[in-house]
Amino acid sequence: MAKKVRVLIAKPGLDGHETGAKLVSRALRDAGMEVIYTGPRQTPEMIVQAAVQEDVDLIGLSILSGAHKEFASRVIDLMKERGVENTPIVMGGIIPQEDVPALKEMGVKAVFGPGTSTEDIVEFLQKRLDLPAGR
Amino acid sequence: MARKMKSKAVKKVTKPGRKTSTKSFRPELAEAYKAWEKGPLRERLAPGEIQPQFRCYSGVLKEETKEEFCTGGGELVVKRLYTPLDLEGTDPIQDIGFPGQFPFTRGRDPLGYRAFRWPLSFYSGYGSSESANERYRALYAAGSNHIILALDLPTQNGYDSDHPMARGEVGKVGVALCTIPDMERVFNGLPLDRIHTGTVGNCIGPWAVAMFYTLGERFELDPAKMRVWIQNDPIKEYTGRGTYIFPPRVAVDLASDVVEYIRKYLPGWEPQYNCTTTMRWGGCTTSQEIGFGVANLVAYIEAAQKKGIPPEDFVPWINLHMTADNDFFEEVAKFRAVRRLWARVARERFHTDDPRVLALRLTIFTGGHRLTAQEPLNNIVRTTMHVLASILGGVESISTPAHDEALALPTFESTRLSQITKSILHDESLVGQTVDPLGGSYFVESLTNQLEEKGRECYEKVEAQGGAIVALEKGYYLREMAEGMYRYQKEVESGQRSIIGVNKYVLEKEVPIKLFEGDAEAERRQIERLNKVRRERDQSRAQKSLEKIRSIAESKAAGRDGNIVPAMIEAVKAHATVGEIFGLLREIFGEYRPPTII
Repeated sequence: MAKKVRVLIAKPGLDGHETGAKLVSRALRDAGMEVIYTGPRQTPEMIVQAAVQEDVDLIGLSILSGAHKEFASRVIDLMKERGVENTPIVMGGIIPQEDVPALKEMGVKAVFGPGTSTEDIVEFLQKRLDLPAGR
Repeated sequence: MARKMKSKAVKKVTKPGRKTSTKSFRPELAEAYKAWEKGPLRERLAPGEIQPQFRCYSGVLKEETKEEFCTGGGELVVKRLYTPLDLEGTDPIQDIGFPGQFPFTRGRDPLGYRAFRWPLSFYSGYGSSESANERYRALYAAGSNHIILALDLPTQNGYDSDHPMARGEVGKVGVALCTIPDMERVFNGLPLDRIHTGTVGNCIGPWAVAMFYTLGERFELDPAKMRVWIQNDPIKEYTGRGTYIFPPRVAVDLASDVVEYIRKYLPGWEPQYNCTTTMRWGGCTTSQEIGFGVANLVAYIEAAQKKGIPPEDFVPWINLHMTADNDFFEEVAKFRAVRRLWARVARERFHTDDPRVLALRLTIFTGGHRLTAQEPLNNIVRTTMHVLASILGGVESISTPAHDEALALPTFESTRLSQITKSILHDESLVGQTVDPLGGSYFVESLTNQLEEKGRECYEKVEAQGGAIVALEKGYYLREMAEGMYRYQKEVESGQRSIIGVNKYVLEKEVPIKLFEGDAEAERRQIERLNKVRRERDQSRAQKSLEKIRSIAESKAAGRDGNIVPAMIEAVKAHATVGEIFGLLREIFGEYRPPTII
């Protein structure tokens, strides 16, 4: 049987609004992926450590606090340090449109704002990032 | 959407244990109802063209828009029509009754809103202590007499502004408070003896008491004469917002210290707001909001009893802090149902007829979770309905989010508008002139009955597990919430549930999100000030005050009695920082690690 795609959904920082992260985790799981959800209060170090340890195929960051640029850049720097910079990274939460180009420049593959349907997210991951349910 | 309710919907609504006999209940009315079904209703549903008497220029459809209509909470089927037949078994005295009298379905106060003025309250505060102070002064000048202090996440989690976890979050969702001088700057120039103030501090409840207490003294006021409320409800943090620190049992014990201290020494203060708002926002159903709310109240009251505070000396000073969701009539019924359920449960549980225990006070923070980032002006309509449902449900206090809050920092205008909504409804729409105006509505009374019954089932499920704290520790609350949230999302995505501007009548426009720019300069300034306080304080006094906290905490951890609030006050006076205080408590009590339930 094909190995399942493994996804890490992480919430950096102190913000405890987990609804979005949990919804997406659940939807990806229902789409046949294996989801590791970190829970809130993660430092970038903890997130990258988990990504390496769990050998994931994708990292999703959920950020509603406004600190998205800072967290994305710290996570991506650490990924380079640990040699996992090829693992794609996507983001969701309250993120202004004008910040999206800068995030993409850093290497973030997609930013999903409020109102994005979980189906669209699954479709993006499967088609655009070539992450079918089984790899 | 109505899950497992098909069978319930056809069953006549009755309360457990009440005898009904369908045959003898209002036979003439039952006959008339049948005649209506056979007459106008059958005609309206008949195949073919719409008959002329039902025609209209627009709007009238041949068929009903849904096969089954149900409540916004998704739990109850809504029938086409309600009549007195739906209230079979409902006693006009025992169940509906009178305001100010058991079971308080129609409200706590016999005068309702005829003797009431809505305070202009608003939950705000952000950025630096100076900018918060500026906003508070403007609100006060505009007539606001109720100021709720919002704290940033590091403060709510007991971290100083220079802690590594605080990076980038200082002053972001509220004010950063590390030491008492921060607090003095926030309230500088405000007449604390004339305003009602407070904060949502939950896991930091004892420290929040110490900060307001010391502030009062610095302003040369008698703290006992101030009017301050502390939310002091840690359970909500494990189920909702996530600013938990300690394991739940420790947190509830510290919350009870606040209750004990306030009830003994600070008569004008409110020691707790028991919050179901964030549970509902996180996916609870309507009946779960009722049942879990009641179970949480019971847990706190029992914790207070252990400290020697009897229910009659506690309940009159607390509030059940609920939300108001979108389904207007369901929400009105929810407020009536929770009062009745509380009265009945509390009477059984605490063996009392004392109205001080049985009459539940309700505080509402309206449905911020239903406000959309798309077309923010639409949110004004949503909030107005939430406020109206709260008023018609007879609640004691209402706060509202600003309509543009999902997108940006609320402006003065949006803040003012959200404050003034209830006064427009009260003074101009005159909805408060009679007590419980929807009392006796066949529909609302029927919903009230059903929600009380289902709410009781939810409460009993929690009690069967060993009560709210056990349900929390076992992850029961979080599982139920995750389930509800996922169901809701699926309903929105499938179009079963309409949200205007999101999945219906959508404008193809980008959502213009403008976040509050965390002022890096403000963060730097805050850290500088913190260091200055650390440098210039009387070090030995500060250390001694922290040692005192340590010894009380260690004694508590060893299972002995004690109250941490006096030591907190001493530490705040000695300029100990929030991070120092909670850092050492973290060492002693340990930290909570949430289960990852998705």
